[in-house]
Amino acid sequence: MYRLALNMLFGDRAKLAMLLCGLAFSALLMAQQTSVFFGIMSWTYTPVYNIRAPIWVSDPMVEQANDAKPMRDTDLYRVRSVDGVAWAAPLHTSFLQARMQDGNFKLITMVGIDADTFAGAPAVLSQGHIEDLRLPNTVIVDEWGAQLMGRVTKGADGKEVVIPLKVGDTFEVNDLEARIVGICKVRRAFTGGPFVYTTYDRTKQYTLGARRTLSFMLVEPQAGVDPVKLCARIEADTGLKAWTSDTVIWSWSDRSLARNTFWWFWKNTGIPFSFGTAVALGLFVGIAVSGQTFYSFVLENLKYFAAIKAMGAGMGVIARMLLVQAFTAGLLGFGLGVGMAQAIGRAMIEKGMPPFIMFPQIFWATLALVLGISLVSAIIGIIKVSRVDAATVFRG
Amino acid sequence: MSTHAAQPVAVRTHGVDMFFGDGETKVNALKQADFEANRGELIMLVGPSGCGKTTLLSVIAGTLTPQTGTVEVFGQRLDGLSQEELTTFRRKHLGFVFQSFNLIPTLSVLENVMVPLLIQGASHDVAVAKARAMLEKVGLKGREYGQPNALSGGQQQRVAIARALVHEPSLLICDEPTSALDKDTGAQIMQMVRDLSRSPERCVVVVTHDHRIFRFADRIAEMEDGRIRRVVEDASLLDTNHL
Repeated sequence: MYRLALNMLFGDRAKLAMLLCGLAFSALLMAQQTSVFFGIMSWTYTPVYNIRAPIWVSDPMVEQANDAKPMRDTDLYRVRSVDGVAWAAPLHTSFLQARMQDGNFKLITMVGIDADTFAGAPAVLSQGHIEDLRLPNTVIVDEWGAQLMGRVTKGADGKEVVIPLKVGDTFEVNDLEARIVGICKVRRAFTGGPFVYTTYDRTKQYTLGARRTLSFMLVEPQAGVDPVKLCARIEADTGLKAWTSDTVIWSWSDRSLARNTFWWFWKNTGIPFSFGTAVALGLFVGIAVSGQTFYSFVLENLKYFAAIKAMGAGMGVIARMLLVQAFTAGLLGFGLGVGMAQAIGRAMIEKGMPPFIMFPQIFWATLALVLGISLVSAIIGIIKVSRVDAATVFRG
Repeated sequence: MSTHAAQPVAVRTHGVDMFFGDGETKVNALKQADFEANRGELIMLVGPSGCGKTTLLSVIAGTLTPQTGTVEVFGQRLDGLSQEELTTFRRKHLGFVFQSFNLIPTLSVLENVMVPLLIQGASHDVAVAKARAMLEKVGLKGREYGQPNALSGGQQQRVAIARALVHEPSLLICDEPTSALDKDTGAQIMQMVRDLSRSPERCVVVVTHDHRIFRFADRIAEMEDGRIRRVVEDASLLDTNHL
């Protein structure tokens, strides 16, 4: 009977198309919005993602990775003296204005790294060499920044063309020259400003001699030392805050800087609410459109279901037929919707924004919700058919 | 739910009352209706609209349970059965031909005929083989994979007959089987019903208004106001003006 149930479903192509549209749109909205949400939220802990140091140390009042509260330079020595620390390197982060050659200003995130060890340096450079950062007034810009801060000119066809920054180009930060010696590949920041890397010592010049420039310390444990235990020891010995650098936001570890950053933005911004609204909308639209269409499908087939009942099919058989129809439509709608979400996501990634991360959890949760919509639709149909008297088949 | 071949009576109702609605809207559709049909017989239920033909047919088919009286079909009392038992009984022993065919338009002709077999739990391959054979019997070989809506009214009713008989039911219930057909096609359909259902272990009950097909009946039971008024063997004894 299940094969016949499917043939009944596929035989009514107009209804099937409507049903699939509702389910696919619902799946698309839920999967795409959730993936973009997690993509945007993943940008919040970009510093931790880009700089893969095992342990981060910060001022005890820091709550998340974008919240730098400068410490004294002497704190670095205190951390280095903690038992179990192999090395500790300074890291500076600050938001500054860069003045381009055309006079335009751009907001940048300046990252100062240790010139001796290059701890915290970007892992991949598409142009230049990291060692050149030791030359005077030099910086490394990320690819997004090279594009964003590039020179706008008119092409042969009169359209505006951006010529990205390249090695050798210069700009100014607080009236000091910054010469590009490298272009790096890193994940973009939540703030939208490009990353500009320079040495830790040079950040004092670019920040006009700020008294305190030590935003974070990057720490490597000695071989065999557990990072979590070392974090606790650093906190006990120095009174500072120590974090692990794992980026698994689902973990229960309250030491993860990435996880704490993610949940800080979750609690303190309206982002989850706005995306949650879109996801809920997808769910409601799915239930409304699919439920209505499936109900209409059942209504149109009601006299046939009544005939099948009269012929001796129990409600169990008919209920399973309706469930097979609803779940088949659900799975197809889910496939279409998630496929479209992936296609849109990939197209957006190629254009640089917005970020799109479809965790396996999003995939499975969307599947569960779409099947839930199908179940609700099927139950509505089952209730309707169960109330139909088999004797109605004799009433013309 | 056993049948007893020794009994000549296939269907018997005794003292059946059937009410619909409550209070002022209460309708007494059957009033102490007594009816009998024998094995190997094609019996027609006739009478004016609203006389209770369809209600009696539904009671015999086990799709309605009467408030009073007894219903016996091939030795099985239906009036004491649960809904589940009635469903099982219909599945095993009844075949239906409906007035409006009730062929599922999104299924092929073959799939429509397979339905009763699949409800009985037959495998897909067995159902296909039996449905093909039955369609050949009703002269629709080569139309198996067409859609019912592409067939003429007569052909659709032949598909419905194939569906009704494919699982070899004891009792064939036909509700106005020729009402949507012209005279010649109606006659062909009734001849087919008669030929295919003729068996000492089978009984055919036909509800109809169509006096043109009375000649195919072994007996005709005339209903009036919820009761069987009389049963005749010769259709000419009926006054067809008020039917």
